[in-house]
Amino acid sequence: MKKVLLLFVLLTFVLSGIAFAGPYEVVDVKGGGSITGVVKAAAKVADPVVKIETTKPEEHQLCGMTAPSGMYEISAGMGVKNVLVYIEEVPKGKALPKMDYKLTNLKCQFTPLVGIAYSGSNFVVTNSDPVFHNTSIGLMVGGKRSTVYNLALPGKDQVITKPVRRTGLNSVKCDAHPWMRAWIYAAKNPYATITDADGKYEIKDLLPGTYKVTFFHEGFGDVTKDVTVAAGKPATLDHTFSKK
Amino acid sequence: MIVNKKPSLQCISYILIMVFSLLIFSIAAAEEGALKAPQDDGKNAVSVDVKKDVQDAGNNEAQLTLGKKLFGERCVVCHGASGNGKGPAGVIKVMEKSGRVLEIHPRDLTSGTFKFRTVSTGCLPLDEDLLRTITDGILKSFMPDAKVLKLDERKALVAYVKTFSPRFTAEEPCKQIAAKMPKWVGSKDSIVKGEALYKKMKCPDCHGNDGSGNGPKSNDIVDDWGNKILPFNFRTGNLKRGSTPDNVYLTFTTGLDGSGMPSYEDSLKDEERWNLVSFTLKLMNKAEYLK
Repeated sequence: MKKVLLLFVLLTFVLSGIAFAGPYEVVDVKGGGSITGVVKAAAKVADPVVKIETTKPEEHQLCGMTAPSGMYEISAGMGVKNVLVYIEEVPKGKALPKMDYKLTNLKCQFTPLVGIAYSGSNFVVTNSDPVFHNTSIGLMVGGKRSTVYNLALPGKDQVITKPVRRTGLNSVKCDAHPWMRAWIYAAKNPYATITDADGKYEIKDLLPGTYKVTFFHEGFGDVTKDVTVAAGKPATLDHTFSKK
Repeated sequence: MIVNKKPSLQCISYILIMVFSLLIFSIAAAEEGALKAPQDDGKNAVSVDVKKDVQDAGNNEAQLTLGKKLFGERCVVCHGASGNGKGPAGVIKVMEKSGRVLEIHPRDLTSGTFKFRTVSTGCLPLDEDLLRTITDGILKSFMPDAKVLKLDERKALVAYVKTFSPRFTAEEPCKQIAAKMPKWVGSKDSIVKGEALYKKMKCPDCHGNDGSGNGPKSNDIVDDWGNKILPFNFRTGNLKRGSTPDNVYLTFTTGLDGSGMPSYEDSLKDEERWNLVSFTLKLMNKAEYLK
């Protein structure tokens, strides 16, 4: 009898757990805590130069012969710009912003290079060049790419809007111009940001709890760290990347 | 069963915990509904993350057992037991009449990315899309047809193939795109319009001016797995999915996800895509498909 009861109690707890572990829930967050920090590089890394390799002269005319990659933007204080900082799993918190993600093909580069798109909003992809671009957004799952959208933008000023559906880290490429690249974190909660020119970031309005924060940089790689957030207080979480 | 005359203290505490747990469970379930309501406008993709049972196949255990058995007999040699496309057959190289060497990489079924669909770019193939590929095979790829199998057996393979990617349980199926060929497809006027679109859409960048797949971008393309791939040569015969007008139209509309071929669903009107079908069928010398 005891065993049966114990099993039932355990089952009830497991079922309650499933109810709590559902999708992201929106609640009022009053007096929440925050996470702030600085992402630094252990040493300066030279920013690689992108070679514009094309056999079409009009593309050289438009896009030049080389371009700075913008991969390693490191400040005097060693802060790293454009690091994606996100908490993948948050059970509940504030509402996601309704904000479309604008991605532009401009002079054979994607602008912006790094950013956050929100579930429930759209990707708005524009071709501002008078040459063919295709914008292929691919979700990175276990080190593998899986196409989310592959959109043809053959003409200047073409605009395509698509909903943000699958969440996670996306790499963006253009098959016609292999040097073109961008990174988008498609977030299912609003707790994601990118570092500024000094490597600083802030994630606000979190309910108290322990969170797993991921730092991703296309050159340095990624790392996930735990941090505990208390109500109404900023928690500090820094990271220093070393070149692999 | 022995019934105690007096319930023990332990037993009472178990019952109390159980009642308490059920209460929490009910509150949690009620809260979930109440809190999600304001943000759910019917389009909000937050709800898309909810794991849902989609499409019909996949649940029937007997069907999956049959599917696994058939997969082991017919598919493992190329697609591998784990479905990652790395079976013992490995990468197959074929030479076209033109002298181009094509590398055939068996599909990695674990990523849930498929080229031949009747749904928009980024969407999972429908069951009938997978069934069609399994039934007919893929031309020029060494993927044989499975017409020797009964329909139930082929459906079992579909169900089993879907178990390799969690996408099939996490995402809802997309709306099917109907290919309704207008009567004028293949007409002189439509071919002329299609030829102009072929240039305007910059198809020659990859497929070349004459359609032989040798455009200026043809050596730059890699697929989702980082493998170098070559654009289709319209001069050497059939599309892998078959060269019927509907298949050509669907290729332009859906794109071939995982490859470099993008979707023109948003860049061209329906009528324009059919004009492009007229022209490319002529390039392929497949006008007989229109009769």
